[in-house]
Amino acid sequence: MRRLLLRLFFALALPAVLVAVWWAASAGSTNVYWPPLRTILGTFPDVWTADRLRTDVGPSVLRLAAGYATAAVVGVALGTVIGSYRRVRAVCEPVLEFLRAVPPPVLVPVIMLFAGIGDTMKIAVIASGCVWPVLLNTVEGVRAVDPVLAQTARSYGITGPARLREVVLRSASPQIFAGLRQALSIGIILMVISEMFAASNGLGFTIVQFQRGFAIPDMWTGILLLGLLGFLLSVLFRLVERRVLGWYHGLREAGRRSP
Amino acid sequence: MLDVHGLRKVYEGSGRRTEAVRDLTFSVEAGELVCLVGPSGCGKTTLLKCVGGLLAPTAGEVRLAGRRVEGPPPGMAFVFQEYGRSLFPWMRVGQNVELPLKQKKLGRERRRELVADALESVGLADAAGAYPWQLSGGMQQRVAIARALAYEPEVLLMDEPFAAVDAQTRADLEDLVRRLWRERGITILFVTHDIDEAVYLGERVIVLSASPTVVQEQLKVDLPAERDQVHTRVSPRFAELRTRVYEQIQAAKRGGAGKAVQ
Repeated sequence: MRRLLLRLFFALALPAVLVAVWWAASAGSTNVYWPPLRTILGTFPDVWTADRLRTDVGPSVLRLAAGYATAAVVGVALGTVIGSYRRVRAVCEPVLEFLRAVPPPVLVPVIMLFAGIGDTMKIAVIASGCVWPVLLNTVEGVRAVDPVLAQTARSYGITGPARLREVVLRSASPQIFAGLRQALSIGIILMVISEMFAASNGLGFTIVQFQRGFAIPDMWTGILLLGLLGFLLSVLFRLVERRVLGWYHGLREAGRRSP
Repeated sequence: MLDVHGLRKVYEGSGRRTEAVRDLTFSVEAGELVCLVGPSGCGKTTLLKCVGGLLAPTAGEVRLAGRRVEGPPPGMAFVFQEYGRSLFPWMRVGQNVELPLKQKKLGRERRRELVADALESVGLADAAGAYPWQLSGGMQQRVAIARALAYEPEVLLMDEPFAAVDAQTRADLEDLVRRLWRERGITILFVTHDIDEAVYLGERVIVLSASPTVVQEQLKVDLPAERDQVHTRVSPRFAELRTRVYEQIQAAKRGGAGKAVQ
């Protein structure tokens, strides 16, 4: 119990200090663009009503989920194929490096040409940005399957789908999760950016609307909400990761104790 | 049971040909425990992988119960030296033992029986729920042995399985292998570089030459079937046999065949 309280204290100390500093520094501000934190927090409940959460935050999160899930499935599937065959890798690698180097926001206008301005476009933008870290990490993970483990599987007749499911993907899962974690932050960025172009709802759209209407405190509340959303998603991600990769953390812990 | 005939393996790498195994012929009878011993780097592992169908031989053939081995046959189980890398770290001990059985399409009841029985006989009945990395090295190798037992192979191939564990654990594991062999009547082909281990375990020892490998000599180990670490290892016959094997290996290192003094 005491340790839990201590951990909670460490986790909350810095955010509390930062909020306090912001609060104190902005308290007497008369600058229109830097409203006092008090004003911002006062505006928050008025702006983010249940209704608005449903009409703006809901669609944003759903599009993020759809784009992210698409990227995860496509990234892992393609990454497994590329990682498994040396020839395919030799052909694909230069192209992948090029595509990965293209900043995803640049693709928004391009994707708009093909996918219009609806949800499809936004999901496509999110997916096209998120897919790279997942894909490249999966390739590395699949390549790095331990040869002894692979031979063990072979000698016990573990081949085909079972090998993929029980050996290759499990063995690559630490790398796949590293890719998924990177993809999550890219996904949130692209969620907002995709809504700044030709959108009619969503978090990014709402924030831009507030800014254009000089509703500055409202705009700030949107930014705070985005931060909170990102934080919440990363906590959620960590919970899933701890569950799926429990063995990996245990293995590393055991390796550190007796090298 | 297991016939190796004219086995040859040449590795082709970047402009370099390495002949690991030149010409090997030997056979293992059903229910026999045969040890292959040879100087380090003599292609023992290559040989065993060819036998297990993990490597394709350049020439010659391996037959298991009359059938030619062209890939890992269902009748063979492999125990590797690197126990830490041969167990699946994301599966618990029980699941590790069970996975090959699922692949064999055995029913749930039968699988549970085999897993429990195999873990019981290696002395790890209560470790089924642990992860391999929570166990000591010796226990991990026991799990690997249990997995091989549960697979119910016709031939069990062991590739220097105890090279990486400490001496005391090693003695325990050697006795475990002897016991399992006697209780279950399985056929075992055991590769080692340790002469004492080969003589202590085997009913027959095949001495291999240095690479490129041929059979240097075969000798029958006429020690009593009941062996134990204390008495067997100090018996005069044990000393004679180990001297004989030792001389053969020295001769093999010098490159001559059968020049040893009796």
